[in-house]
Amino acid sequence: MLSRVANNLFWMDRYMERSFGLLNLINTNYNSALETGDYSSWIHILNKYLNISKNFTTPDNYDDTISIIDYILFDDTNPNTLLNIISYSRENARNVQEHISRDIWLSTNKYYLYISKKANRSKFKKSNPIKFLDELKEFNLIYLSSAYVSQERGSAYCFMNLGKYLERTIFSIDILNFKILELSENNQSLVESLFLKNLIFLMGGYQLYVKTYKSIFNIENIIEMIIINEFFPRSVKYNLNRITQNIIELDQYNQIIGENELVYNAKKLQNTLTYTTINSIKEIGLNSFLFELKNDLNNLSQLINQRYFSQL
Amino acid sequence: MHMEFSYLDFYSIISLIFFSTSFVKNFDQKKENIFFNDDYEHYPNTWDEMFKNDGKVRRSYKFLEKFLNNSSFDSIKEKQDFSDQFFMNQGITFTVYDNDQGVERIFPFDILPRIIRPNEWDTIEKGIVQRVKALNLFLKDIYNEQYILKDQIFPSRLLLTNPYFLTQMKGLKTPLDVYTHVSGVDLIRNNDGKFYVLEDNLRTPSGVCYMLENREVSRKLFPSIFPKQNVSSVSSYPQVLYNQLSSLVNKTKPTIVLLTPGSFNSAYYEHTTLARLMGVELVEGKDLVVDDNFVFMKTATGLQKVDVIYKRIDDEFLDPLVFNNQSYLGIAGIMNVYRSGNVVLANAPGAGIADDKASYVYVPEMIKYYLNEKPILDNITTYQLGKPDELDYVLKNINKMVIKKTDGSGGYGMLMGSNSTDEEIDNYIKQIKKNPTNFIAQPTLNLSTTPCIIDETLSPRCVDLRPFAIFGGEGIKVCPGGLSRVALKKGSLVVNSSQGGGSKDTWVLEKNQNVK
Repeated sequence: MLSRVANNLFWMDRYMERSFGLLNLINTNYNSALETGDYSSWIHILNKYLNISKNFTTPDNYDDTISIIDYILFDDTNPNTLLNIISYSRENARNVQEHISRDIWLSTNKYYLYISKKANRSKFKKSNPIKFLDELKEFNLIYLSSAYVSQERGSAYCFMNLGKYLERTIFSIDILNFKILELSENNQSLVESLFLKNLIFLMGGYQLYVKTYKSIFNIENIIEMIIINEFFPRSVKYNLNRITQNIIELDQYNQIIGENELVYNAKKLQNTLTYTTINSIKEIGLNSFLFELKNDLNNLSQLINQRYFSQL
Repeated sequence: MHMEFSYLDFYSIISLIFFSTSFVKNFDQKKENIFFNDDYEHYPNTWDEMFKNDGKVRRSYKFLEKFLNNSSFDSIKEKQDFSDQFFMNQGITFTVYDNDQGVERIFPFDILPRIIRPNEWDTIEKGIVQRVKALNLFLKDIYNEQYILKDQIFPSRLLLTNPYFLTQMKGLKTPLDVYTHVSGVDLIRNNDGKFYVLEDNLRTPSGVCYMLENREVSRKLFPSIFPKQNVSSVSSYPQVLYNQLSSLVNKTKPTIVLLTPGSFNSAYYEHTTLARLMGVELVEGKDLVVDDNFVFMKTATGLQKVDVIYKRIDDEFLDPLVFNNQSYLGIAGIMNVYRSGNVVLANAPGAGIADDKASYVYVPEMIKYYLNEKPILDNITTYQLGKPDELDYVLKNINKMVIKKTDGSGGYGMLMGSNSTDEEIDNYIKQIKKNPTNFIAQPTLNLSTTPCIIDETLSPRCVDLRPFAIFGGEGIKVCPGGLSRVALKKGSLVVNSSQGGGSKDTWVLEKNQNVK
């Protein structure tokens, strides 16, 4: 497989995963703002995920919320909006059509056509935002299921998975960082359990959380679940396991024998997570722990680049 | 040959001028069906693919008449919408820009198929095989012994002045002596009902994926009538192409790649489709590298040697060390590798000398010279203005002529006599007289028409046909079908996608079938 193609597959899934994370973020923040009446949280999202700090005055009502969501979804000048993220994913898919199943291509192309159709932007403004966001989320779910059931297993699938799991891990770390920071800023004005409940909703882990910890929403339990729960598909640990597995499988598909730096580092990071507990995180401090983890992930990402995409 | 008011451009653009006053209503009997009424404006002195001059439906189209008789507008509209959505979802689109906003458009598809009868196809197939064989022999000759020049059949001056003649190809023997691996021969049907060759495309002929996708959508649109018509299958085209390319190297499992200019090329969808259906890598120039006089592709796990390159980029951009040194699309040093026989390029560089419009005039003579045969498919009458008597005739009849520069393309730098002012004609004549050999002229022709569903009624539109031939170890294989391009607008019309053209599925009926 061409280096360029491997890179396209990797980014096709990274962007698609990013769009899924963004939709979850919008959805949760929308609900959270409705419950608390605090619309200022949108500013943090615009800063952190859209990389903008101007143009929007502090939102203080429902109409502002709709304008901000409209911007996050449809603005074509900001590279971090859903429209552009899907467009990048689709462009990557377009370049590798001979390596992906028809179902994956069709699901990506249909998503792009839907989000780029001007009439759908008008539709958003007239409809219930949650209903519209759910419609968009369905495209992500169709993509994920298409990839799972129709993509042949091999190098292409591994590169897609690497992109997806790496993006998901980074998203989980970022959201933890970002939300905990937000909590420390707003803890006087917020009901903490409501905030944490929304956080776990955002991560899509509400059911698992309730099963594991019952209804006790405390920060330690949430950190434990997002970082080291191996059954939660958005936890750092779960995704690192998948990353390591795909790195090893890539070597098998390409008949590469023996350990190498990439496999070594992936397994090392995997082991670190295996022996991490909530107490050890507390000892190091959450910020330091997440900082180290993100550095290790960046290192892993660079090694993937060097090993597979360096022919570019 | 009739000289009417339609015009054909030599390079894939068909432009027709119709005088609105000359439309005639040709149906004697008003039919009750919404599609078969007396509004069908049969173009005068023009062959219609479906209707005879008396308005009766040709036998091969009877099934379509029956289908339309039993169809409502809504059901047809539904089918048209389905096909539009099909092309859109598949990503079979091109981008047009409006106020810097890229908007994706599909190449319009008219759902009614164009039918080619078995005996018609027999002539087309044999004619194309004959023509491609002769053109290939011409290329082999012109880059080696040059007997055709020595025997003064083909003038040497045309080589000297032709940019498509590549000196880098001289003395080079290609595998199996094949130069024209993939050809697209543009045909039109004149008002005598015969097919004529409009032009040969031997460099990077495109459109084959529309042929494949049009068939795909037709099968979905007409599930009840398609199987009964014994339509020849076109689906094996990618496999035939793969086999023919494989046959060029003595290797069990050669590495074949398709070289594309990239995703901004208007034919990119076709490149991805062919690569996908052949199961080969789609590469860009930057994915390939020359090392130790071999070509390698940069894979995720290292370099991999490439044996055959089906190139879809123009020769000019192929090798910056030899041709255009500004090109980022090609591969530096690839011509050396090619000349050493370490990689096969299809089509061979320099094939353009055979499909140039100055060379076109000589194709019938090539057929006679190399094959000692009479052309099965005739050329359109073409006058070389470098010949004084022909120049004289053209100037006297300039209102009925289309004049083109031999090195022009894309419809630029031409004169349509019937549609030009006296001043334009005078200016053009001045250009001709400076260097008459740089010009050719053709009488305006009547293209055949085919019924299309336009504004909720059947309406005739001009149509051409581009069948595709693949040349390799298994000889010349012509795919039984092709791309039928229709000019969807009235007036001065073109068939290419950026200028209002569309396409139809082409159903070549098999022999010994009973039309049901």
